Amino acid sequence: MRSSRVLNFFFTGLAAGALLVAGCRHAPDPESAAAGAGPSAPRRGGTAVVGWGAEPNGVNELTVPSSQITHEVQFRMFLHLAEEQPDFERHPPSFAPSLAKSWEWSPDHKTLTFHLRDGLVWSDGAPVTADDVRWTWTAQRNRDIAWENADSKSWITDVEAVDPRTVRFHFSRVYAKQFLDANEGAILPRHAWGQIPFSQWRKSAEWFRQHLVVDGPFTVASWEHQQQVVLKRNDRYYEKGLPRLDRVVLRQLSDQAAGFSQLLSGELDFVAQISPADIPRVKASPRLALIPYWTNLYVTVDWNNDNPLFKDPEVRRALTLAIDRKTIVDTILGPYGRVADSPVISTVWAHDPSLRPWPYDPAEARRILAAKGWKDTNGDGVLDRDGRLFAFELITNAGNQWRTDATVMIQDQLKKVGIRVTPRQVEFNTLIAQTNAGKYEAAMFGYTMDTSLDLTNNFHSRSIGADGNLVRYRNPEVDRLIETSMAQPDILAARPYLNRIQQIVHRDQPLTFLWESQRLTAVNRRVHDVRPTVNYSLFNLKEWWVTPKG
Amino acid sequence: MVGHAEGLTAPAGPFITNHTLSGFLLRRLGASLLLLLLVLTLTFLLLHLIPGDPIDSAESQHLTAAQRLQLRQVYGLDRPLPEQYLRWLAAVARWDWGVSLSQQRPVSTALREVLPATAILALAALAVEYALALLLGIASALRRGSVLDHAIRVVTLLLYSVPLFWLGLMAILLLSYVWPVLPASHMRSVDADLMTPAQRLLDLARHLVIPALVVGLGTAGGTARFLRGSLIEVMSQDYIRTARAKGLSPHRVVWVHGLRNAIVPLIQVFSISLPLLLSGALIAEVVFSWPGLGRLTYGAVLARDYPLILGATAVSATLMILGNLLADVLHALADPRVRDA
Repeated sequence: MRSSRVLNFFFTGLAAGALLVAGCRHAPDPESAAAGAGPSAPRRGGTAVVGWGAEPNGVNELTVPSSQITHEVQFRMFLHLAEEQPDFERHPPSFAPSLAKSWEWSPDHKTLTFHLRDGLVWSDGAPVTADDVRWTWTAQRNRDIAWENADSKSWITDVEAVDPRTVRFHFSRVYAKQFLDANEGAILPRHAWGQIPFSQWRKSAEWFRQHLVVDGPFTVASWEHQQQVVLKRNDRYYEKGLPRLDRVVLRQLSDQAAGFSQLLSGELDFVAQISPADIPRVKASPRLALIPYWTNLYVTVDWNNDNPLFKDPEVRRALTLAIDRKTIVDTILGPYGRVADSPVISTVWAHDPSLRPWPYDPAEARRILAAKGWKDTNGDGVLDRDGRLFAFELITNAGNQWRTDATVMIQDQLKKVGIRVTPRQVEFNTLIAQTNAGKYEAAMFGYTMDTSLDLTNNFHSRSIGADGNLVRYRNPEVDRLIETSMAQPDILAARPYLNRIQQIVHRDQPLTFLWESQRLTAVNRRVHDVRPTVNYSLFNLKEWWVTPKG
Repeated sequence: MVGHAEGLTAPAGPFITNHTLSGFLLRRLGASLLLLLLVLTLTFLLLHLIPGDPIDSAESQHLTAAQRLQLRQVYGLDRPLPEQYLRWLAAVARWDWGVSLSQQRPVSTALREVLPATAILALAALAVEYALALLLGIASALRRGSVLDHAIRVVTLLLYSVPLFWLGLMAILLLSYVWPVLPASHMRSVDADLMTPAQRLLDLARHLVIPALVVGLGTAGGTARFLRGSLIEVMSQDYIRTARAKGLSPHRVVWVHGLRNAIVPLIQVFSISLPLLLSGALIAEVVFSWPGLGRLTYGAVLARDYPLILGATAVSATLMILGNLLADVLHALADPRVRDA
């Protein structure tokens, strides 16, 4: 499934304020059961109004910039060969048939054959064929199109349309993400979108919208920039009786507060992320239900490992020990957050259960720093060594209150062990440019983890300078373990390597893990069967149904 | 004597020749074009001075360095800055404003789409501004020194000083929540696409009320003060006293002789306040999710969408310059010394 890859470790700087990645650990809580379990049998028809902080960027996923709402909409219009399921807690995620009804591997695990569902048609009546699959693959690799996820097709040497219903993917090697890579990206309509050359694609967002032909449950009814996008049922969708809703209005919100008040007034039916401060009002409202679930986001303090201050793993560990993460989480997130301890978030099957967050132990931190030669020689309250103060700047993206608050708390806590922190907020793009270039001392970020569990971009030394591994962590053993884990033919077999990586990262603390958090989705109780997942807030939109207003 | 008084309403008309006016206009137009070029060049440079580019935006953080490079090639962002500038300039000279990077459609299309929304809001706000300014200005000028005058002075000063976004939030609080009679944001209702044309129009009007009121109120304070001063000055002129002495009704004295003359300087205020009104509308668009030029620009800046930012800047700058030009022309019509300078 696409977003699991796309969201791989991108900085969700807006996550706390805006409405970005969705996540789901459990089925909805009992308190929110009303939103899940309907009072009567599902009903067909009606409109649901969804509030979102941004508008979709376009309908063609190969050319428009990716964003959460963009994926949400594209995923509802175009089918993938298979659909990744959110059942990754105890084992790697399973895949449900979608465009393909079945698939099988060759004995050498280098050829994957998909059998397409019979009788599938695009919304204009044209059949969906193996040729569409092959043509989509050529578009995905085209340099003029420059698809953001083209890397996922690096090891696929050919996509062969064996017959109209059979398509075969050929790989040049065996590795853990083969199926994910084959399934990456939705299948697009050749007969409709093949009419313009690939070189024109990046200028033609409007053309694609005007020539929209879909095979998913929804299509676009109207598109008003900066206002709302209306989706309507695709009457030719293959699943009988779905989608249940006639229309879904995606209303663009100016801010979170506006969204919440429109939810209260009944104008909106669904908001993917509300502020923890609004929870009492949701609980007090008879018409609203809360659906909290764990996201795949974790927030960290990244230490620039190239900086002399942070070169030493023991010093970095002392910094972690000196930061009272539990208090920060309790203050900022309350019961909707917990202290993080690994790049593999704790809700994923591969999280190493033996890990425990480092305790808050300022005395031990002081002892380590003293042993490393950091002493307050001039009595100014700040540690120094060889004439250099232990002082640095901690940057984070402006406009995220949680992170701003956390940087100030860290400043206060580190002051107690003699370290001077200057918190500073910078504009998002500037933060990205600075950290990609390694021009920073310490930075607070959010990362999202996907189910591919590929840690290359985070911690492999070859990602340094290639816009990954921003902490500039170098550990040959971790490099080797990452490569070995990703070379397994089955990600399940990678578990021992992934555990070892997590343990080493935990020991070396190239970054300090702060928190994992819950997403707080609020729904009007007139909408039923709402089941958000880690990757998609609107995961089962086709199954939503509403009781009439009033 | 009445004739003398009314003669003032067509000021200095006989002195203007077509020749001098067109020369003046040509000079001013030339200077305006240069100014526009300067504004756009500076914007271009400033955009490239800020760290990060469109490919470093929040939505593309999962890209590898190789993919970034490829995207920069596709969009020509890998070229040297002078070359990018010249290419852009040459295209603009052919009236090609380029393709928006974030919206992936021609900049001109995106701009054309938002301009009506901004125009509707600005015109409605203008109506509110002048209706209110006339009412308050006249009332306070005619009741000069009274309690009413002082009360109006406090109100207009408040309106003039209050930040627009705060006024907006208060209006939303009052008219959408405490007393929920009007929609708080957006230009249309959720189900507007299912309405009849008449219903749609009514729906638009309902959505227009709060933003127009807020922008209009924000600018009305200053205009009302200006009108009050102007009217007081006119009302103390000899010809007004003469008109009164002639036995004209007080109503006719104020509306025909007083106001007509007091409004002349207001025409200039109008042309100068046009850009102010526009920038007010920009803030309001963000607060009220109004799909106009302001929101477009705001989004373009967040996405570092160079072509779109430059296109939007060109539109706003042109409107500003035109406003000033209009003021100059009106001023020149009124005062030959300006024209001949």
